[in-house]
Amino acid sequence: MANKRNTFLLIWILTAIGCLFVFLKYASPKIFQVLMAKDHPMPTPSTLMMWYMIMGVLAGLVYATTSNQKFADFLSFLLPGSGHVIQSFLRNMLFVAFPVLVGWFVYTWSIPGAASPVELRIQHPTLPQDFEKLENPFRQKDDQAQRKSIEEGKILFQTYCRPCHGSKADGNGPFANSFRLRPINFQDPGTIATVVDNYLFWRIKEGGPGLPSEATPWDSAMPSWKDDLKDDEIWMIIMGEYDTAGVMPRQREKQE
Amino acid sequence: MIKALKKGLICFGLIGIGSCFLWICGEVSAQSSLLFRTYKHEVPQKLQETPEAVAEGKKVYEKRCWYCHGIEGKGDGPASKTMFPKPRNFTRNEYKVRSTVFGSVPTDEDLFRIITSGIEGTAMPFWNTISEKERWQAIHYIKTFNEQFKKDATPQVVSVISIASTPESVNRGQELFKETKCYECHGEDGRGNGPLTVALQTEWNMPYRARDLTKSWNFKGGNTIEDIYRTISTGFNETPMGSYLEKLSDEDRWHVVHYVKSLAKDIASDVVVKVKLWEGDQLPSDASDESWSKATAVEIPLAGQIIATPRQWAPSIDAIMVKALYNKNEIAFLLEWDDATNKQEEVFRDAVSLQFPTKIPESLKKPYFAMGDSGGAVNLWSWKAYWNEGFGAVVEAPENESGSVSEMNAKGFKNVTIQPPESQNVAGRGIYQNGRWKVVLKRTLVTEDTKGDMQFEIGKLIPIAFAVWDGSNSDVGGLKSVSSWYYISLEKQVPKTVFVYVLIAIIMGGSVEMWFIARLRRFPPKVEEE
Repeated sequence: MANKRNTFLLIWILTAIGCLFVFLKYASPKIFQVLMAKDHPMPTPSTLMMWYMIMGVLAGLVYATTSNQKFADFLSFLLPGSGHVIQSFLRNMLFVAFPVLVGWFVYTWSIPGAASPVELRIQHPTLPQDFEKLENPFRQKDDQAQRKSIEEGKILFQTYCRPCHGSKADGNGPFANSFRLRPINFQDPGTIATVVDNYLFWRIKEGGPGLPSEATPWDSAMPSWKDDLKDDEIWMIIMGEYDTAGVMPRQREKQE
Repeated sequence: MIKALKKGLICFGLIGIGSCFLWICGEVSAQSSLLFRTYKHEVPQKLQETPEAVAEGKKVYEKRCWYCHGIEGKGDGPASKTMFPKPRNFTRNEYKVRSTVFGSVPTDEDLFRIITSGIEGTAMPFWNTISEKERWQAIHYIKTFNEQFKKDATPQVVSVISIASTPESVNRGQELFKETKCYECHGEDGRGNGPLTVALQTEWNMPYRARDLTKSWNFKGGNTIEDIYRTISTGFNETPMGSYLEKLSDEDRWHVVHYVKSLAKDIASDVVVKVKLWEGDQLPSDASDESWSKATAVEIPLAGQIIATPRQWAPSIDAIMVKALYNKNEIAFLLEWDDATNKQEEVFRDAVSLQFPTKIPESLKKPYFAMGDSGGAVNLWSWKAYWNEGFGAVVEAPENESGSVSEMNAKGFKNVTIQPPESQNVAGRGIYQNGRWKVVLKRTLVTEDTKGDMQFEIGKLIPIAFAVWDGSNSDVGGLKSVSSWYYISLEKQVPKTVFVYVLIAIIMGGSVEMWFIARLRRFPPKVEEE
C-alpha cells in the first residue's frame, strides 16, 4: 500500500474516530469493570472522554496532513471521482450527515437538562496558626504512658468516631454510605499519614463548621467536638487513631 | 491553495472540538448506588486449633475486637453503648448466622465467613483486611468464651442446594408466608412491622427488630437465595426467628426464599431529584394518587444525627424515598419511609422534615447541611404524626387524621424559629399503611415571605436535605435520622424555539459544507512534485 493512493483516507479517519468513541463509551466501562473486579460498569469520566476525543480528532488531522500527497487524497474523496459506487454513496452520506450532526449538537446543547452540581473542594486546607504551636502531650511521654494513651484513645475512637470512620479507621463505618462527603479513610496513605498531630487536633476540635469556605464546610458531617471532649481526650483519640489505622503522623517528635 | 485548504480544515477541526465540548456539557451524570457489600462464602483451609493459636488469637481479639465485644466476650465493650443491634455476647450461644441446626453452635467456617464479610446493618465490619491466619486465631480464642463449643459434638450442618426461582414458586411462597405466619413479625408487606415484633422484647428489654425484607442491604448474613434459605432453615439462635427445617419441607422453604427475594429491593439513589412538570390544575395531595407514578423516585440514605448532642447513634430509619411534581403554581413532594410502628406519644412522634436554604445559592456556598448556621439560614417544612390524647398515652395515628405541618426557619441547632401564622403556607397529609409512612407536602412555588421561604425557580439546582424521626425509637429534636445536602431540579419544558435554532443550524451547516465543496471543486488539490 506504500505508494498506492488511498482514496478512502477520509473515511478511514472518520471510522477510527468513531471506533475510539465506541471504545470509550461502551467497551472501556466493561473492561474496567472486569479489571477492577467491580460489580458495576466503570463509565469513562466525561471530561476525560472529551480530551481523548479531541486528541483523536487532532491525531486524525495530523495524520492526514503528514504529506501533501496524503492531504490531497484526504480531500479528493469529496470530489466527484471515478464514479465508484461505494465512494459516491459514502460521499452522499457524508454530505447529509454533516448538517444533521450540526443540528443535533445544537439541539442537545439547547434543550434544558438538569446539570450535575459542581462541588469542588480543597481536601487539605491550611492549618490555622492558632493550632500550629500546640504539642501532643502524649508523644513526649515514656513508652508505658504512650501505650496507655493509645489504649484509652482507641476506646474513645471506637465510641465516638467508629459510627462513621469505622472500627478499622478505614472510613467504612455504618453511617459512611449515608453521607455524600464520605468519612475519611485514615488507612489511606494520602490522609492522616501526610499531616501532623496538630492538624488532626484542629479537625477534631473544630469539625466541619471550622473549615474554611474553600473546603465546603456546609457539606462536611464531621462534628465539632470542642463542647463534648476535653483537649487531653482529643490528643488520646489522635494517638489511638494512628494506631488503629496503622500509619504514623508526618513528623515524629521522638523515635521509640 | 493547499495552504488555504489546510486553514479551512483547521477551522473544521475547531468546530468539531467545540461541539464536543457542548455535547459533553449537556451530559447529566447519574450516581449509581451499589453501596453495599455481599456475604463471602468461600473459606480457606482452617488453621489447626493449638494453645499457641488461642494465645495469638487473644492478642488479635484484644487489639481489635474487645472494644465492642468486651474483654470477657460478653458483648459489653466500651463502644457497645452507642450500638444497636448490640455486639454478640460470646459467652452465650446467641450466634445468628450459622449453617448449623437451630440451637447448636456455629462451625468454625461460619465464624470465618462472618468475620470476613461483616454484618450489614450492624456495626460489625468486614475483617478481610487482616490475614487469614489472624482471623482463624481470633476464632479459636472466641470459642473459649463458650463451653458449648467443647461439649457439643460436631454440629449438624444444613446443606444448601440452590433451586432457581419461578413465578409459581414466588406465588406459592407468598401463600406459605401467610400460612406459616411469617407476617406476624415481618409484616404483611415484609416491612418488619408485624404485630409480634412490635410487642416482643428480649430479657434485657431490648426490642427485637424483625428484618425489613424489602431492604436487601440489611439482610444479616447475605441476601442471595442461598443465604436466605440458610437463614430460614437454621434460624437465629436466641431470637423469635426460629428454624423452619422441620416445619416446612425443603421445597416449601425454597418457595418462601423466592418470595422473600422478590420483596427485596436495592437502594436507587441519585444526587439530583428531578421534578417533572405536571400537566393539570391540581397537584396530587394524597399519597395514594395515581399521578405519583409519573414522578421519578429517588432513595436517599440516612444516618443518625451525630453532629451535636444529643446524638442519635442507633437510628432506626436508614432511607427515605422522595418524589416530586410541580405545575405553574405549586410544588408537591411525596416522602415515603419504612417504620415498623405507628406509635405516637406527646413527645416522641413520627415526623419528617424537608430542609431548603432560604434562597437558591448563587455560588458553591450553602448553609450548613445540619440546620443551617449563622451565615446561612434554612427553611424547614416539618410534618408530625397526629396525637391528641391525655398525658402519657401512646396511640396509633388514625388514618383519617393527616398530622400537622409547620414551617420553620433555622440558623443552627439552637436557633430555630417557627414562622408566624401568616407565613405558614405548606399543606401536608400523612398516612401510615403496612409499615410505611407516606407524607405529601405541598406549597406554592413562590410566597410572600421572600425572606424566610425558599422561592422555587425552574431549571435551577436547589439544595434539599431530609430528616426523619421515629417516635418508637425515642427520636425527638436532635435525635433523628438525617441526610447530606441533595438537590432538586424543576425540569424545564423544551421550548418551541429550540427547533428554529436547530433548523438554522442545519441550514448554516449545509451552506458551509456547500461552500467548502464548491471551493474544493474549483481548486482541486494538486500534489506538487518535489
